[in-house]
Amino acid sequence: MSRIRLIVPLLLLTAAAPDAPPASTPTPTTTTTTTTPKLPPTVALQPVAPEEAMAILGHRVVGPDGKDLARLVDVLVDANGNPVAAVLDFGGFMGVGNRKIAVHWTTLSFDPAATTHRITLTLTLDEIKAAPEYRDTAKPAPVVVPAATEQKPGPK
Amino acid sequence: MPAPDVPTPRARRGLDLLNFFLADAQTGFGPFVAVYLTARHWTQVEIGFALSLGTITAMVSQIPAGALVDAIRGKRAVVASGITAIGLAALLLGIWPILLPVIVAQVLHGFASCVLTPAIAAVSLGLVGHAALGERLGRNARFAAVGNGLAAGVMGLLGSYVSARSVFILTAALCVPALMMLPFIDTHHAPPTRRAPETYPDTQRSELIALLTDRRLLVFAACAALFHLSNAAMLPIAAGELTQIASSRASLIIAACIVVPQAVVALASPWVGRTAERIGRRPLLLLGWASLPVRAVLLAFLPTPWMVVALQALSGISGAVFGVMMPLIADDVTRGMHRFNLCIGIFGLAAAAGATFSTTLAGWLADARGDRWAFLGLAAAGLAGTLLVAFAMPETRTTTDTQT
Repeated sequence: MSRIRLIVPLLLLTAAAPDAPPASTPTPTTTTTTTTPKLPPTVALQPVAPEEAMAILGHRVVGPDGKDLARLVDVLVDANGNPVAAVLDFGGFMGVGNRKIAVHWTTLSFDPAATTHRITLTLTLDEIKAAPEYRDTAKPAPVVVPAATEQKPGPK
Repeated sequence: MPAPDVPTPRARRGLDLLNFFLADAQTGFGPFVAVYLTARHWTQVEIGFALSLGTITAMVSQIPAGALVDAIRGKRAVVASGITAIGLAALLLGIWPILLPVIVAQVLHGFASCVLTPAIAAVSLGLVGHAALGERLGRNARFAAVGNGLAAGVMGLLGSYVSARSVFILTAALCVPALMMLPFIDTHHAPPTRRAPETYPDTQRSELIALLTDRRLLVFAACAALFHLSNAAMLPIAAGELTQIASSRASLIIAACIVVPQAVVALASPWVGRTAERIGRRPLLLLGWASLPVRAVLLAFLPTPWMVVALQALSGISGAVFGVMMPLIADDVTRGMHRFNLCIGIFGLAAAAGATFSTTLAGWLADARGDRWAFLGLAAAGLAGTLLVAFAMPETRTTTDTQT
């Protein structure tokens, strides 16, 4: 019994030991870089201007004619993180009858420089409406691809 | 003969408008929340979480909410708290669409809805008594349907042309006139059918056991579950098809699909209530339940846009029947007991469970075999419900003069 009592605190000590150094290291670095926000030395800040990149989740998507068509609700990416397809939610009334359709990434054009942050789908509603609904993340996604770019991988 | 004093016209109109405004306020919740949160840059996973939390709350609180309403004497105070909670939930959604407030709003709304359905039925019963309840429930359903239909139109326009947020601000605002109707609805005419709450615990327990083993209750709960198993996914799937085949006109046609059944409910409900009192519950139950498989089969084979709208009229028939008969049968089953609201809660739970499973079942069928099979699956559920009504559901109408 007494031996166990001795061992337990020892184990706790050894277990706690590896935690100690990283816990102490951030403190000196933060004191040296007080001018910029608290960041570990392994990363730096790179400002991205609003006209260079834009947030897209939940954004409206317009058709070639500029008419409101859908909202961008999800993005499918490949192993490198490159976007392959966008999931658009379109149609419906008060949330009833909405359909999610996946379209190839190349069918969308983005314009972060414009204040409207417009996302334009180069396909018309008639071209995508017959596509099967995108439902299940576990199954192959039916992605609408323009006939010319069929079979091509994602954007280069 | 119970023959309660006739309610004052002021009280009757107050209850009419209460149903109207409350139905207005309820329209913005439901699937529209998903549209709103998508526009607020929520991810699909977060939206799914928030919505299912609301669904689960609405399911688990059915029975506790019913029991709670039974236990509280001042039903109008219960209705007032419920409306306030709905208003708060709408404000939270409208003003502060981030995770925690939205979760609170969903839970608040889920629970408040479960309280309001039985509480309004109880207030109605208190106002008109057993004998006139069918007619009164018909009126409730009529005004609720007018409110729903109008609100769907107005909120649809607001959501498209103003902002999704404005829908929830309007919802919260509509709770104010709903609250203002309450003082008009006096319950002094309540017939003395309720047993005093200080009955012995033994009597209470045996009463509860008698209720829970009542064949009428069990069969109707199963019928309610099958009704919603068949009904709940039917419009969403049909509307999804409409979006596919009617593209740019789809929103308008789907709007018609939502408003048309409300118009039918508004027209048919008072008739349903009156007829149920005159010739009994069973013929109406058969009508309401049988129209489900008919609609589903027609949807499976005739999915042209305007046909879908026309078939939605059938949905109005079944909707009117369910909306009136559910509380009416609860009153039949609990006559002489103090368990009216608990009974509505039990039926509500069965309905909610059926509705939840409906979406799963139809989604699975649509995925595996296509929309036609999804409709046929829903038709099978409706047919099973109809057969259950036809062969297992007893007539629950008590000829009011002999009983009580």
